[in-house]
Amino acid sequence: MILRVANTICAEQWRYWLRTKVAATVLMLGAVLTLAALVVNAFHIEEAAHAREHLQHKAEERFKAQPDKHPHRMVHYGHYVFRAPTPLSVIEPGVDTYTGNAIFLEGHRQNSAMFAEQRQSAGLTRFSSLTPSFLALVLAPLFIILIGYGSVSREREAGTLTLLLSQGTSRSQLLLGKLLALAAASAVFLMPLLLACFYVAFSGESASLVALFSVSYAVYFLLWTVVVTACSALFEKSSASFTILIVIWMSACVLLPRLGSSVATNLAPSMGKLEADFKVEEKLRSLGDGHDVNDPAFKKLKQDLLAKYNVDSVDDLPVNFRGVVAQYSEQRQAEVLSEFAENRMQQELEQAHIARQFGWLSPTVAIRSISTVLAGTSLETHHRFLREAEALRLEFVQGLNKVHVEKLDYKLDMNRNASEEAADKAVVDASNWALLAEFKFEPEKSAVRISNANLYFLQLLFWVGITVLLLRIAVRRLNP
Amino acid sequence: MHTNSVICADALTVRVDDRTLLDNLNFNVGKGEVFALLGGNGAGKSTTLKTFLGLMKASSGSATVLGKNASTNTNDVQKSVAYLPESVTLYGHLSGLENIRYFLSVAGVDKTDEDIFAALRKVALQENSWKKALSNYSKGMRQKTAIALALLRNAPVLFLDEPTSGLDPAAIDEFNALVSELAANGATIFMVTHDVYGACQVAHRIVLLSDGKLTGSFERVADTPIDTEAVHAAFAGRTL
Repeated sequence: MILRVANTICAEQWRYWLRTKVAATVLMLGAVLTLAALVVNAFHIEEAAHAREHLQHKAEERFKAQPDKHPHRMVHYGHYVFRAPTPLSVIEPGVDTYTGNAIFLEGHRQNSAMFAEQRQSAGLTRFSSLTPSFLALVLAPLFIILIGYGSVSREREAGTLTLLLSQGTSRSQLLLGKLLALAAASAVFLMPLLLACFYVAFSGESASLVALFSVSYAVYFLLWTVVVTACSALFEKSSASFTILIVIWMSACVLLPRLGSSVATNLAPSMGKLEADFKVEEKLRSLGDGHDVNDPAFKKLKQDLLAKYNVDSVDDLPVNFRGVVAQYSEQRQAEVLSEFAENRMQQELEQAHIARQFGWLSPTVAIRSISTVLAGTSLETHHRFLREAEALRLEFVQGLNKVHVEKLDYKLDMNRNASEEAADKAVVDASNWALLAEFKFEPEKSAVRISNANLYFLQLLFWVGITVLLLRIAVRRLNP
Repeated sequence: MHTNSVICADALTVRVDDRTLLDNLNFNVGKGEVFALLGGNGAGKSTTLKTFLGLMKASSGSATVLGKNASTNTNDVQKSVAYLPESVTLYGHLSGLENIRYFLSVAGVDKTDEDIFAALRKVALQENSWKKALSNYSKGMRQKTAIALALLRNAPVLFLDEPTSGLDPAAIDEFNALVSELAANGATIFMVTHDVYGACQVAHRIVLLSDGKLTGSFERVADTPIDTEAVHAAFAGRTL
């Protein structure tokens, strides 16, 4: 009986929306926007995935196709690594849009996004791009408000609420009917997203993870549906419920996420790019110039090596001293660069963790954290990409330095600038470039991503509790 | 409570915050009776009506309909009454027919289209307007639609809120005739109004309400309508 009456009220609400051009337009606009954003983003991601795979392959081929060269020239020739987008980034591009997906790897440097746009790195808010997740998390609640703010208060203002309740319709039946109607309307926005999830589930992503991702979004939409219906029931006039709902939307979707980022950058401040670059440069300078074997920084290295091989001159060493210096210098530089990079990443993570605590104040922050973590487009995943890229960089640079040490004669090496002919002799065989390993970045396993999102699921659950409470109050206080 | 009473106010008091809206009301309305509660603006007429409909709770005393307390058995009471609001508040985007179908559906009353057509004919709503949007109806047409709804509910008790307000004289006469017919067929009718003339024409009993208190009572003797002048004088606070 409860459901039968609720269904009748739900159907009538839909008839009203369809006969009211404004509501029907909002519904249509929301659905078209979501669908358009999904299609555009899907094409973009698909194209990017192919392009990056192709570029990665091409970069490796080009590196290995280099002719006989001095190994240190190959160190500076460098190599590109690309991060392919995850299947769920069709919906949630996460930090990818502003961190970049390609890194140029070369000797003595860590070229990565970690020294760029640092202050934004913890930001969980992006309002510039019309991504499906932005539409779902920020714009869809606005559409739900526009459609539903008057669903109950309109009845009160028109006087039909009294007539409805006097027919024996209970307050719970009435609110359930209105809730069902608005939930069905919000499903119009949610449906394209769910279809995209369904597609993603067949594109190599774990089905359980995709299901959890979809359910989280559905719960988020339901939260807004309940909030809108409850406010419409609690406030006497439609204008009052609309104003309050817009204030709630502004706070939850715009102000609190922004405030979270600002609080995070203030509580865990990080160095600016210039400041960080200067400090790195200063520290690197103190390590000596790896291109100069006579730099005082390598005096002890030279002594130790001479003692080890029991010779008086580097000319008599069985290895190329210049290569040894390059190898030694690269190792120490990498340690310094990694130390700065790790500090930087730690600061970024601290900021992100602080900003994500705002999920207790705004369900939008909670769902955004869930969304990016599950999609594999979170800051943590990006950091892992940077670490894996750095490991590859050090591996191939040190591999080339090892070739320099073992396969290039020291005297020929030192004499390389004497003439063109001498330079041609100071090279190693191109077959040595095969040492470059293939790079393929994979996001964390689905179980790890789900476990990483546990706290944010709790936040979402907390919001479910709050909205259930709000609904109970609305049922109790609903008066004509 | 009176043994034959269909509607009964027993020391009915309603307070909201610090204000006493209804103060110790006592009356009984019997089966087939047309009872009019007459009062000015803010007298407490709508509060009385809402309390009997279970939309407001009694602070003390009781409001019962067919022996059921409206504050505690709200759903049962609402199922057994039909309510006609002052400004007939049906949905403007729906036709008269759609409005009736919708409200019958939420009330859980199954009626065929033939039943609905018969009710609309009974209240004399022009057939060519049945499928037009209610936003195009006059107040009289809306009133007729709401009365048709009330008839279709087959409710033994009808609560009417300012039923003749805004109606033209011909429509008022039609309405009064319909109310009398319903009462003659055994329906109990409780109306709140400030229309002295209209109440005297149709009511078996008129009770005056002022500042939430009952201040006077007039009863029809045989078929002679209640004396309008006497009621008017009492309503206006004059002595004849």
